[in-house]
Amino acid sequence: MRAHGALGARVVPLHPRRQGAVPIVSTTERPTRSVWPRLEPLLPHVQRPARYVGGEDNAVVADHADCDSAWLLLYPDTYEVGQPNQGLQILYEVLGEREGTVAERAFAPWHDLDALMREHDIPLFSLEQHLPARAFDVLAFSVATELGATNVLSCLDLAGLPLRAAERDDDDPIVLLGGHVAFNPEPLAPFADVVCVGEGEEFVLEADRVVRRWRQAREAGEGWSREDLLVALSRVDGAYVPGLYAPRYGRAPGGAGMPPLRETAPTRADLPEAVSKRAVSDLDAWPYPKRTIVPLTETVHERYSVEIFRGCTRGCRFCQAGMVTRPVRERSKETVTAMVEQGLAATGFEEIGLLSLSSSDHSEIHELATDLAKRYAGTATSLSLPSTRVDAFNVELADELAREGRRTGLTFAPEGGTDRMRAVINKMVAEEDLLRTAETAFAGGWRQLKLYFMIGLPTETDEDVLGIADLALKVVELGRRHGKRNRVTVSVGGFVPKPHTPFQWAAQDRPEELRRKVRLLKERVAGERNLKLSYADPEPGLVEGLLARGDRRVADVLERAYELGARFDGWSECFSLDRWEQAVADVGLDLDWYVTRERGRDEVLPWDHLDAGLDRHWLWEDWQDAQRGRALEDCRWMPCYDCGVCIGLDLEHQTGHLPVAYADGR
Amino acid sequence: MTTERTAEVGRLAGDVGVADRVRVRYAKTGRLRFVSAIDLGRVWERALRKARLPIAYSEGYTPHPKVSFPDALPLGYASTGEYAELGFAEPITIGPAMRRLNAAFATGCEVLDARGVAPGERRLSKWLGRALWCLSYPEGTDGAALVEGAQTILDASAWPVGRERKGETTEVDLRAPLVDLVVSEDDPPRVAALLDASEPPLRPTEVHTGLEIALQTQEPAHQHARAADGATLPTPRLISRTAQGAPADGGLLEALSGEHLAATAAFDATREELRLDRLDQPGP
Repeated sequence: MRAHGALGARVVPLHPRRQGAVPIVSTTERPTRSVWPRLEPLLPHVQRPARYVGGEDNAVVADHADCDSAWLLLYPDTYEVGQPNQGLQILYEVLGEREGTVAERAFAPWHDLDALMREHDIPLFSLEQHLPARAFDVLAFSVATELGATNVLSCLDLAGLPLRAAERDDDDPIVLLGGHVAFNPEPLAPFADVVCVGEGEEFVLEADRVVRRWRQAREAGEGWSREDLLVALSRVDGAYVPGLYAPRYGRAPGGAGMPPLRETAPTRADLPEAVSKRAVSDLDAWPYPKRTIVPLTETVHERYSVEIFRGCTRGCRFCQAGMVTRPVRERSKETVTAMVEQGLAATGFEEIGLLSLSSSDHSEIHELATDLAKRYAGTATSLSLPSTRVDAFNVELADELAREGRRTGLTFAPEGGTDRMRAVINKMVAEEDLLRTAETAFAGGWRQLKLYFMIGLPTETDEDVLGIADLALKVVELGRRHGKRNRVTVSVGGFVPKPHTPFQWAAQDRPEELRRKVRLLKERVAGERNLKLSYADPEPGLVEGLLARGDRRVADVLERAYELGARFDGWSECFSLDRWEQAVADVGLDLDWYVTRERGRDEVLPWDHLDAGLDRHWLWEDWQDAQRGRALEDCRWMPCYDCGVCIGLDLEHQTGHLPVAYADGR
Repeated sequence: MTTERTAEVGRLAGDVGVADRVRVRYAKTGRLRFVSAIDLGRVWERALRKARLPIAYSEGYTPHPKVSFPDALPLGYASTGEYAELGFAEPITIGPAMRRLNAAFATGCEVLDARGVAPGERRLSKWLGRALWCLSYPEGTDGAALVEGAQTILDASAWPVGRERKGETTEVDLRAPLVDLVVSEDDPPRVAALLDASEPPLRPTEVHTGLEIALQTQEPAHQHARAADGATLPTPRLISRTAQGAPADGGLLEALSGEHLAATAAFDATREELRLDRLDQPGP
C-alpha cells in the first residue's frame, strides 16, 4: 500500500478478498482487446442476451487508439432499466461530441451472466466495443436510487477495481458517482473517487480536461499521484472528493448506542467547507439528447424524451427531486419543438415524452402540447406527458393528447388522504377540487383513474390513513355514475425521508407499522369491486431509508451486504431484508438509529457539507410549518420565501409565468 | 452504428419496380441474432419510420405497421433467409426504398432481395415449407468423419435424437424431416441440411446432435448409444438459415425468386452470411 497523505486520514478496514471475485490486476496499460470472442459463446446460456450485444442505432463506436480520454458511463441496473435514463443519454452525447473523447456505456449484468463472467474471468465490459472497464479513464456511475448501491459495488468488482478508493493505484480508472444519490453519497463515499453533486453537462466537460492532462502525464511516464489527481478534480465546480473530507464522530450519549456525527470537514485548508451543487443556467443552450440510442430489445421506456423544464417550486415537502433541482428553468417551446422533430427523425421512435417534475406547470404547456399533437396527427406518433397534478387543466391536457386515441387511464397523485395531511406535505389540493377533477375526467370519457398515495408520513394518524380509502371510495362512486365499469386503482407506497428536504429530520415508519396501515385500508375498501388497492412491499423501504440518510459508517454495511450476496435490491425477487439486517449486525450499527429516529434541529447531518442551495434554516422552519399543518405557496407566482437557491447559485427562475404579486402591480 | 455498409446485394442494386405490397428476403446476422423475434418487429418498425417510408398502419386505437413475419427465427441463429411482407400506404419504388431502409437498420439487419406482390398471389407462409440450414464448424473439425456421419444418417430409415425439455428427455426423429445433408469440401467444414417443416419443428442444433451420435457409432468400441455424451465433434461456431422455399425434388424453390436451390446452395449463401458477420465483429 502506498501512503495516501490526506486520504489516509481515515483508517480503511481491509476486507477479505470476496469469493469468486475477478482477480485484480493493476497495470499502467489500458487493456485494448474486446471481450466479445469470449463473451459470445456464453450468450446462448443467459436470459435476454440482447441486453449485452450493443450495436443499437445511434450508438457511437469510436477508436480508442488515438483518443485523449475515454469515459465509461454506467447505470448500475439492467440494460432495460438503465438504457432509457435521460441523464446517461445526455452525457453520452455531450462527451461523445467532444473531439478526442470516447464515451461508451455499461450496465450491470444479470445474475446469470454475472456468475458466468466470474467463472470465465470476463471483466465488466462496454456495450459499444465490448472493451473491459479498465480500458477507460473514468467509470462514471449514474445512481438514481439508493437501492442501486450494491450494484455499484458489483460493477466495480467485475471491473477488477479495488472496491475502496483508498486502495486504488495511481493509474486505476477514476470512479465518479452522480445522480440523485450524490446529494447524500456518504454510504457510497469510500467507494467513489469523485462525486458530481448536481447536473452533469458542464461538470463532465470540465472534469474531462483534468482527465486528459492526467492521461497525458501517464502516457509520458510522469504520472500523477492519486492524490494530485483527486485534488485537481476537486477544483471542478460541483466536485466532491470524499477522500478529502473526513467525518468526525462524538461520544454516544451515556456511553451506549450510536456515536453521533460531529462534522464532515475538509482535510486540506484550500477546500471549501461545503461543496455547492452544479446546475446549468440555460436549458436551451444544452439541447440534448439529439440522437437517442434506439434499443434492440424492449426497455422500460421507449420514446424520444425531452425535458421541458428542470426544477420545481411546488414545494412538496417529501420530494427530494423538487428540492434539489431548483430553481425552475424552462426550455422554450421553440427549442422543444425543434428537438422533437430532429429526435424523431434520428430515431424512428413512435412516442414523444415530455419530461419534467410537473409537466402541466410549464408556462407554454398548452400551446406546446396542442401544437405537437396537431403536427404529428395521423403519423401513428403518440405523446406522453407524465403529470400527476390534480387539476382540471391536467384533464383538459390529457383530453387534448388523447384526441384520436382511447381514453383509458389517468393518473393523479394526491399523496395524502385528508386535507390536513395534504397541508402537512404541502401537496395543496382540497378534497372538493379533487372530486371535481375526477368528475371532469369520468365525464370526459376516461374509464380508469389511478391515485397515488403515501403512508407513513409525518404526523399521520389512522384517520389520515383511512382518509385515503374514504377519498378513493368517493371517487369510485363518482365514476360509477358515468359508467358501471369505471374503475379506480389506489397505489400506496411507504414514505422514506430524504436529505435536503424539510422532512429530512422526520422519523420513518417501520415495515410492521406500514403493514398495519395497509390492513386498515384493506378492511375499509373490502368488497368494493371497482376499486383496486395495490401497495409496495415495505421492507426495501427500510434499506432505502438507511442508505438515504446514512453516514459514512453505513458504507461497511453496504459492503457487507454485498459480500452476503445483495444485488439488484430494487428488484423484489432479489431483495432480502435478512441479508441487510445481518450486515447491519455484523458491522455493529443500529438500523433504527438511522431510519426510524426523528432528528433534532442541531444534529449534524451526514450531508451538511453538500450544498443543494437550500438554506438549512429555511428547511427547518418549513419542517416546523409542516408539523403545524401550514402550507406554503409556489414562489413562481407568489413572493420569494427565501429558500436560498436562487441567491446561493446566482440563478433565477426562468419561466414565462408572471408572479401574481408583481402582475398586480404590488 | 458507424460501421460502413457494403454495396447493395443482388437485385436491390437496380430499380425493381413499383408496388404497395412488397415481399423481402432479409438477413439477421452478427449481434442481431441475439435479438428476439418480438424485438425484431420493433427494429423493423423504427427503421421504416426513420427511413420515412410510407408504411401502412392498421386501423384502431393502437395502430400497428403492416409488416408481417410468417415465421420466427429462434434466438441465437443467424440467417440470410428470413422473409417479410410489407404493406405501404402508397406505391413505392422498391429499389431506392429498400436501400433507404437498409441505411436506417442497425448493423446486422439488411434487406437482400425484394419484389412486389401481385394480387391473388400465393401467401408467403405457403412458400416456407422447407428450409436450408448451414452449420459452420470451427478449425480442426474432421471433415472426412462428418462426410461419413452424414451418409450414415441419410442411409438410416430413422435417426432418433434426444431432446431435453423442462427436465424431461424425449426423442425426436431427425431422419423424417431431413431431405438432404451435405458436407462442404472446404476446411473448416460446413454442413448443409435441408429440412422440411415438421410438428414439433426440428431444431437445427439437433442436426448437430444427430451428427455427434453418428460419429460416435462409427467408432467400433461404441454401441449405438444415441446419446451425445462424447466430445468427438466440436460445437458449430455458427448455425444459420440460408434460404426457405417450397419443397421441390431434392431441393427447394426459393420463396422470393422461385429459383431452384439444392442443399449445396447453403455454402454460397453462408459466404455472404459470414461476410455480414465479419462486418459486425466489434472491437479491435
